[in-house]
Amino acid sequence: MTDATPSALSPLAIDVRGARYVYPTGNVTALGGVDLQVKPGEIIGIIGQNGSGKTTLTKLLNGLLKPTAGTVIVDGVDTAKKSVQEMAPHVGYVFQNPNHQLFARTVQMELEFGPRNIGLSEEEIAVRVAEAVEFFGLQDYIEEHPYRVSFPIRKLVGIASIVAMRPPILILDEPSTGQDHNTTHVINGLMRRLRDQGTTVVCVSHDMPLLADVVERVIVMKSTEIIADASPREVFADKTLMARTNLQAPQVTEIALQTVVPLGGPVALTPAELAADIAMRTGRPAAARTDAVG
Amino acid sequence: MPEPIIAFDAVTYTYAGTDEPALHEISFEIQPGEYVAILGLNGAGKTTLGLCVNGVIPTMLGGELEGTVTVGGLDVSEYPVREMSKLVGVVFDNPEFQMSQMSVAEEVALGLENAGVPYEEMKRIIPDTLELVGLAGFEERSPLGLSGGQQQRLAIAAVLAMKPQILIMDEPTSNLDPIGKQEVFDMAARLNSERGMTVIVIEHEVEVMARYADRVIVLDGGRVIMNGTPQEIFSRVEELAALKLRVPEAAELATILRTEYGDWDGPVPITTEPAVAAVNDLLGATRD
Amino acid sequence: MSMQAALPVAMIPGNSIIHRINPIAKLVWVVGYVVLAFSTQNIVVLYSMALFALLLAPIAGITKPLLKGALILVPVGSSLLALQIIAPAVERPWTPVGEIGPLTLYGDGIYYGFVLLGRIVASLLLALVMVMTTHPSDLFTSLSKLKVPYTLNFMLAMTLQLIPVFQREVGIIMSAQKSRGMKGKGFSAVLPSFVPVFVGAIERVQQLSISLESRGFGSNGIKTSYRQVRGRPSDWVIGIVGALALGGLSAYSIWRGTWNISSDIVFSPLFVVVTFVISATLFFGVVLFAVFLSLKK
Repeated sequence: MTDATPSALSPLAIDVRGARYVYPTGNVTALGGVDLQVKPGEIIGIIGQNGSGKTTLTKLLNGLLKPTAGTVIVDGVDTAKKSVQEMAPHVGYVFQNPNHQLFARTVQMELEFGPRNIGLSEEEIAVRVAEAVEFFGLQDYIEEHPYRVSFPIRKLVGIASIVAMRPPILILDEPSTGQDHNTTHVINGLMRRLRDQGTTVVCVSHDMPLLADVVERVIVMKSTEIIADASPREVFADKTLMARTNLQAPQVTEIALQTVVPLGGPVALTPAELAADIAMRTGRPAAARTDAVG
Repeated sequence: MPEPIIAFDAVTYTYAGTDEPALHEISFEIQPGEYVAILGLNGAGKTTLGLCVNGVIPTMLGGELEGTVTVGGLDVSEYPVREMSKLVGVVFDNPEFQMSQMSVAEEVALGLENAGVPYEEMKRIIPDTLELVGLAGFEERSPLGLSGGQQQRLAIAAVLAMKPQILIMDEPTSNLDPIGKQEVFDMAARLNSERGMTVIVIEHEVEVMARYADRVIVLDGGRVIMNGTPQEIFSRVEELAALKLRVPEAAELATILRTEYGDWDGPVPITTEPAVAAVNDLLGATRD
Repeated sequence: MSMQAALPVAMIPGNSIIHRINPIAKLVWVVGYVVLAFSTQNIVVLYSMALFALLLAPIAGITKPLLKGALILVPVGSSLLALQIIAPAVERPWTPVGEIGPLTLYGDGIYYGFVLLGRIVASLLLALVMVMTTHPSDLFTSLSKLKVPYTLNFMLAMTLQLIPVFQREVGIIMSAQKSRGMKGKGFSAVLPSFVPVFVGAIERVQQLSISLESRGFGSNGIKTSYRQVRGRPSDWVIGIVGALALGGLSAYSIWRGTWNISSDIVFSPLFVVVTFVISATLFFGVVLFAVFLSLKK
């Protein structure tokens, strides 16, 4: 590890204070004075319409943009003092479209690119790539050309190529775009497992079921500011907030809000959760409960 | 029974340079004015199927097509794409890839210019079409300066100007934010209900399709494996789960209640409102 | 934040007299300028042409962007002049006028240097005025009226349109690769940046070609045009005057055998040395600045 023990300016994984970003051309404010603290191992979602400042915020987190005011400290490092390349060992950024980053002749070489750039030894690179291949289940594809594999696999290769650098903080931009349910499901599982291994995960997404499924904390952005920072349940239950941001809760949460919630039931995030609550109320505990569906 | 506007008869298609057919023995019919959702995993053949309808397959992409695709009574393999485009408009997932002009008006005009429509007529058609997609007054804006939702509606306007009877949208909202998604789906629903346009949407968002579609066709491995009303299809929760496809959460809820708790007897709801009503009935019945 | 702003040279919207002139009339002037600039070696004519183009800028309200666009002339012009002073493109013998370090300076090439510079300055300034005051679609519509083939015309328009798109695409790809620790320069950055751009371009072209074909692009029938470009009497006058005046001057120049007046102008050795120092300084200044910028990134 090149910079494994930074002079920790903050024990937090992400510590953003009063960060603003104004485009150098034309005084357009893209982010207006944002505060965000994320503890190591948290898994958070950022939602909001295009132009709300989500992408600007995440670009500040990995140093692609530098705050025009305030501070952004990620993994104990002040991003203003480091180049994007120097931030790479600290924070991984998975771009939305894997086609924007894949270029190598084989998947194996693609995965080696990042670790080599951050100056690891060949032995260490081999270890990390093997680990990423295993983690993402890419064993059958390592000799394939990244553009020859299917789009879902390409997406996984894109994420794996970042995870192979073993960044303690991982940002994913719209991981479910253009993916079917099956792939989204796989990606959700991987995000959870990464978090379980101690990675801090930041997921920018419009996909409400995805957020309901994996994140513990939702940051809602509107007009370049953070307007809410709460659990998915609290956010989805806040009708005015959802209306203000033109966002829609997952269908099952909507159903819960109009049925069991007024009776004191949970703001359910999954059909299984709501079903269990309804069954309890109708006096049919899950005596014959099986794992048939879910 | 009216004449179907689209008919696939035992269509098998193999892309040039590949061995495995992308579509196997596909047969189905679509009636004029239907709103059809096509579901399936990535690689199931959804896009290929869409390209067969406007004749890009086989006339532009080559490959080997067996069986016949008939659209508006015409065999698509016998007409150039530009002829078929008077019947069928297609838009793809990335609206920006479909833009080529300096201004919104010119983008809409392109198809008309190529068809030799006189200037006076264009002056009438363009504002009308922009009005239809909710972009009235955007004539002189640059397509590249529009939001994603506006760009996608412009891409749709550009094909609508040719007055097709069928609109095919291939994952039209996958690159859009929630506002953009809603704009596009609302517009498609209006074209379908008010103008009687036949709409075919290739989509992963089952909750939206449950609300709008008259029919759902499920593809898997290049074959049509389900074809029916949203109510019929989305009630088959276990089968769809086995195919790794999503179902509306309302349907999933009802199915869990039935299979795990024996707590659901009625039909499986596929949209929010009937699910809410049924759950409240269930809860009300126990409280009494 | 419009995409168009990313283009170094783009139309500046406006409704000035210059904006309203018919694109063809403007094109006549630009072509006339180029023809005259390259048929004469008379520096008075060349710099008068440049001055005239420059005077159009305030009328069109494009002074600032025009000067910004003309900045490109600094490295070109300064290197050209400096080079002519140390290695004149005229026949020997050369008369040395001074020495700076190992370099010997000659006065013989300086007139020719000013001619080359004048040609570029005059042509470029007027071309910039035209580009900045003409909607590209109007230009292409006019060209198609002149029977420039539709496909060629379309390709030109398309290229203009795609430049900002590709600039942005390259920006995203560079960001993605830098986020993977890629150093932003050198040979090792070539493949990681270009493969994704290339693949993206292919994908874009495939979708666009289907989209265009679906809108009848390949049809052979009569095409109509949505943009209507008017040719008013004043446009005719401007075009004809331009053609006659510039054509006439060109013909006169050729008749006078390039109308070279170098024998009437004597450059003092001091002037040559000062010109060299200024242009060499400017040139190296620009080079150093460019190197500094690339290192900073």
